[in-house]
This record gives sequence, structure tokens and C-alpha cells, in this order.
Amino acid sequence: MTDAIAVEGLGRRFGAFHAVRDVTFTVARGEIFGYLGANGAGKSTTIRILCGLLAPTAGRATVAGLDVAADPEGVKRRIGYMSQRFSLYPDLTVAENLDFFGGAYGFSGRALRRRIDAIVEETGLRALRDSATQSLPAGLQQRVALANALLHDPELLFLDEPTAGVDPASRREFLALVRRRVRRGATVFLTTHYMDEAEYCGRVGMMVDGRLAALGTPAELKQRLVPGDAWSVRSARRAELQAALAATDGVRAVHPHGAGFRVRCDPARLDGATLAARCREIDPAAELEPGTATLDDVFHAVVAGGGVA
Amino acid sequence: MSAPGRLRRFAIRTGAVAAKEATHAVRDPRTLYLALGMPVVLLVIFGFGISFDVEDVPIAVVDQDRTPDSRALERSLTTGHEFVVAARPDDPAEVDRLFRERTVSAALVVPRGFAREWAAGRRAPVQLLVDGSDGVGAQSVLGNASAALRAEGRRRLAAETGGAAAPLAAEVRLLFNPALRSAVFFVPGLIAYILYIVGVLLTALTIAREQERGNLEQLFATPVGRLEVMLGKLLPYLALGLLQALLVLAFGMAVFEMPLRGSLGVLGLGTLLFLAGALAQGLFISSVAGSQQVATQAGALSSLLPGVLLSGFVFPVENMPLLLRALASVFPARYYVDLLRGVMLRGNGFDALWGDFLGLGVFCLAAVALATLGFRRRLA
Repeated sequence: MTDAIAVEGLGRRFGAFHAVRDVTFTVARGEIFGYLGANGAGKSTTIRILCGLLAPTAGRATVAGLDVAADPEGVKRRIGYMSQRFSLYPDLTVAENLDFFGGAYGFSGRALRRRIDAIVEETGLRALRDSATQSLPAGLQQRVALANALLHDPELLFLDEPTAGVDPASRREFLALVRRRVRRGATVFLTTHYMDEAEYCGRVGMMVDGRLAALGTPAELKQRLVPGDAWSVRSARRAELQAALAATDGVRAVHPHGAGFRVRCDPARLDGATLAARCREIDPAAELEPGTATLDDVFHAVVAGGGVA
Repeated sequence: MSAPGRLRRFAIRTGAVAAKEATHAVRDPRTLYLALGMPVVLLVIFGFGISFDVEDVPIAVVDQDRTPDSRALERSLTTGHEFVVAARPDDPAEVDRLFRERTVSAALVVPRGFAREWAAGRRAPVQLLVDGSDGVGAQSVLGNASAALRAEGRRRLAAETGGAAAPLAAEVRLLFNPALRSAVFFVPGLIAYILYIVGVLLTALTIAREQERGNLEQLFATPVGRLEVMLGKLLPYLALGLLQALLVLAFGMAVFEMPLRGSLGVLGLGTLLFLAGALAQGLFISSVAGSQQVATQAGALSSLLPGVLLSGFVFPVENMPLLLRALASVFPARYYVDLLRGVMLRGNGFDALWGDFLGLGVFCLAAVALATLGFRRRLA
């Protein structure tokens, strides 16, 4: 069985700007592949190339066994795509949007009705069929967009930042819908900058400045790139404490996270008790929470280290 | 995939685009106003506003002769509705002031001795002054006044020679528009102009709007082809355009008493071709413009200028320099104006109008082809 996606030496240049350069990876059938990176790192460019929307300027990519540069139309028939921008027709109802996209994939009449009935059931949109899409909250709009992308039962699903700007509960529901499709055999390629979302992925690739800087399962990446302990620290004297810890022997990395910051240590040189003591010297009120490394830590390590693929 | 299967999918996808586009159109009050409200408003404004029929032109009469003959001459000007006497200065120098103050647009000066010279059988000159600063108006005023004065001269001559006819008398009759009403001449041009500009503007926004909203990227990711997008967008607006044409033509016939001497079928087919060409021109602009703002500007300019200047609406195309005539031949407006005049006033059929049908058909096909080719399905 061939890979669902195979990318080799892929590059895309816009004038002198290399949006994507020399990217190589494969995605197996039935896998959820997470593509991570900051804005402008080349995530959307890659996904657009894979969807046949943008021609590559270097390398090659096959999707569902078809070369995206040679047969973009064949690729389009086999995939579902949800672009980063909310790109439904806001003045049309949920059902009218589905009607249109169903027709766009060549379905009509009873076959189209059946598919729409099934998809609104699957995505929980049945009650909203006749609502104008522009009147729905962002979370539901994303679900309508997903329904559109799934209507023709694609073997591959490309989701470009599908949950950006959506509340956490809606994000979870959305990802649950995606995972249900994967259990039914679909392959998913999704870009995100939510690291917790990436934890759900079978494998992740991290993009930094157009290059694929890290690739592997979340566990592998953590093991390889951020071994040791990781702590979440909260303190009123955050800047001072961060600087002091960064200079402490045995501390591998310090980077801001949420309201506080993360500290990664080499357990052989610095144990938890010593770290806590060191923190309290500077701020007796500092709160430390032990934990394991996250993909967020990995991402910071990758960005800081220039990447270890 | 088999050929019938491919055709069926083509029809399904085109139909899906058309249904979506029709829903956009009927949900958007601006589109409906543009298609059905604005044409009537334009027709009323221009139809009543543009007229070369000059009436009640204020005239100054300087009668230095003060004889029954001079008064008869004055009456010959004012018995129609063309002129009303607005001033009767004694001094011819006064006329100059009246022109400057725009109290009058014309002046008749009858010098002392007019009746005496006439009675003696000698030349009896009178002076007619016309404000030339308003070119079109001046020509009409001049034409009306000199015709009235010449007629009066002939009438008197005939009376004196005991009814003997003038040696040469051309009997002038105007065919197709005997009363020479300017509405009959103008309204076909006006209809073409309105249908053209509204047609182009209706579609000029459609693709640019989808591009701005981000819909195009999603559309590109589906198997819908370029021609399917173009035809799908064209069809609903063609239906709307035909409704609009019906409205405008009916209005022109009811309010401006336009005749329809030819066949409705010829008129309908010509209108269909013209509308399809205008809509495709809008689609072409929309597919290359990139933003709604640019599309609106380009759409308005590219229909307004040819629609007014190169259509024969106001200026006859035949009298233009070669370069402009060639340019006019590119745009469909001149063919449609010609076709409308032909079928409405002269009652022409295909045999006389095939050239116009050819021009409209070629433009329509070229515009659809250009719009399709100009529409890039890939992101830059």
C-alpha cells in the first residue's frame, strides 16, 4: 500500500522569497499528520501545493498516488479541503452551501440528498440546516465547513488551521468528528499552531522559516528533543526569576508559556527540590508545577536550536 | 469516464454554480435594484432629459419697421411652439445685453424699410441672431427659425404671384420617424446604453467578491472547471437581464411611444446575444480585476464610454475617423443600437440585420472565451 502523501524535496518560491524549501515527508494511510509552525512558516503554502491549488517550484509531491503538479484535478476529486479563511457563502443557508459543494463534486438529485442527510447527521447540524451561515457562531461555521469538505467522502482531508479562533469546547468536538473519520479510514493532514491539538496527531512535522525542522511522533520528538523534566512556573517576579534560572547550572531551557514560563532541566544535574529551592530564593511566592515535556517545549527547542530533523 | 457521464457532470457542476449564483442575486437587494430598478430610473431621467426637440425658446424681437408685414414675419416664428417672445427692445444694441444675461437665446432684427423693400420687389434682409455657445441647441434653433422664415418668404411669394408654384419644390417626407421626434431616435440608443452598463456591472462584482471573501480558494479546491464557473455565473444573470430588457423595452414603448415594427423573435435573439456579451465582459473584468473596487471602476468605464460614445447613440459611427470606427466595431453596443433601430423603426429582419447579429455573436463568444481564460484556477 502506497503512502497517502509523499513529499520529496518540495519547494515553493515567490520571487526571491522561499516560502517552502526542501521539504520531505510521507503520511501513511489512516494517519493524522499535524503540521506545526508559526504564521508565515510555510504551512499554508505546503497545504495549498498538496491540494493542487499552487504549483510547486521544486521537488515533487504525490497525493493519493497522484502527482499534484501533473494531475491537480485528479487530486482535487479525491481530497476534501478546508481553507484557513472561513470560506463558505455567508448569505446561503447551511443546506444551500452543502447543495452547492455537493453539486461541485458532481452529485445531484437523490444521491446528493442522501449525502447531505448523512453529513448533517454526522456533524450534528441537522437542526441548523436552514440557518444562514453568517448567523452561526465561529465554532459552528467551522463545523459547516468541515461538513462541506467531507460531503463527497474524500480519502484525504486537508485542514488548514481548522480551529483557529474557536472556543476550546468547540475545538474538542471538531477534533472528535475528525478522529471519527480517521477511524473510518480517512487520512488527515492538518495545520495548527495549537500544540495541544498536535498531541492528538499520529505524527507531527514542525516548520520553521519554510523548512521542515522536526518530524516524528509526539512521544519521539519529546524524547529526542526535550528529554528530562519540565516545570511550569508562575511568579509575580517573572522576568527576574526567568533570568536567574536561565543562568542556573542544569537548566536546559526557559521559555514563556501562558501567564508564566516553562523550565526544562537535566535531571542528572538538577533535581526538583533544588530547582524549587532556587526559585524560592528569588521569589518565595513562586508556584512550581512538575510535569512532562509538551510539544510546546519541543517547538521552542526546535525554534531555538534551528531544528533537528 | 464516458462522454455522456462527463457531459452530465459538466451540467451538474454548472447547475450548482448557477443555483448558488441565483440565490446570491435574489438575496441581495442591491443586485435586484441594479437589475430592475436602476434601468427604469435611467430610462426616465435620460428619456425625458435628452431631447433635441427645442420648444419655447426665448427670443428677442427688434421690430424697427413696425408694419403689418414685419408683424407677420414675427408671427411666423411664434405660431409654432418653438419660440416665445421674451423681449422687444427698440435698440438693436440692447440685444447684445439680453444674450449676455441669457434672457434670450435668439433674436430677430427687422430693419426699418423691410416692408417697403419687399413691396418694391427688392431684397428685404432681416437679421437672425442665435446664441452659438450651446452647440446642439443652437443648431436646432437655427434650423427651426430659418425654416420658419423661409416658409414665410415662400408663402408671400406665392401669394403675390397668384399661387404659382415655385419652380423647384422638393416634397420632403421623413420616413420611419415622420414627426422627427428625438425620442424615437434616442430611445433605442438609450436602451442599449442602459442594458450594457447594467449588464457589465451585474457580473463585474461576482468573481471579485468571491476572491475578497476567500470563497475562490475553496472553489478552486473542488473539481469545478473554469468554463463551468463562467457559464454558471452567466446563466442566472442572463435570466435577470432578459427580465430587465423586457421591462425597459416595454417601458420605452409605453412611455416614449416607441414602435415595434419588426418581429419580437429577432428583437429577443439580438437582446439575448447582446446581454450575454455584456455579462461576459463583466465576468472577464471580474476575473482579472482582483478587487471589487477595481472591478466596479473598470466595469463602469468599459461599458459607459463605448455605450455612449461608440454606439451611435449620440454620434453616428459612420462619421467617425477610421481609428474610432474600428474601436467602435469591437464593442457590441453599436451593433445592438443598429439592431434596435432596424427592428423597431424600420421593421427589419435577419436579412437586413445579419451583420449586427454577427458582431454581437462574435463579441459574445470572444468575451466568454476571454473570461474563461483570464480566470486562473490556481493561486498566484
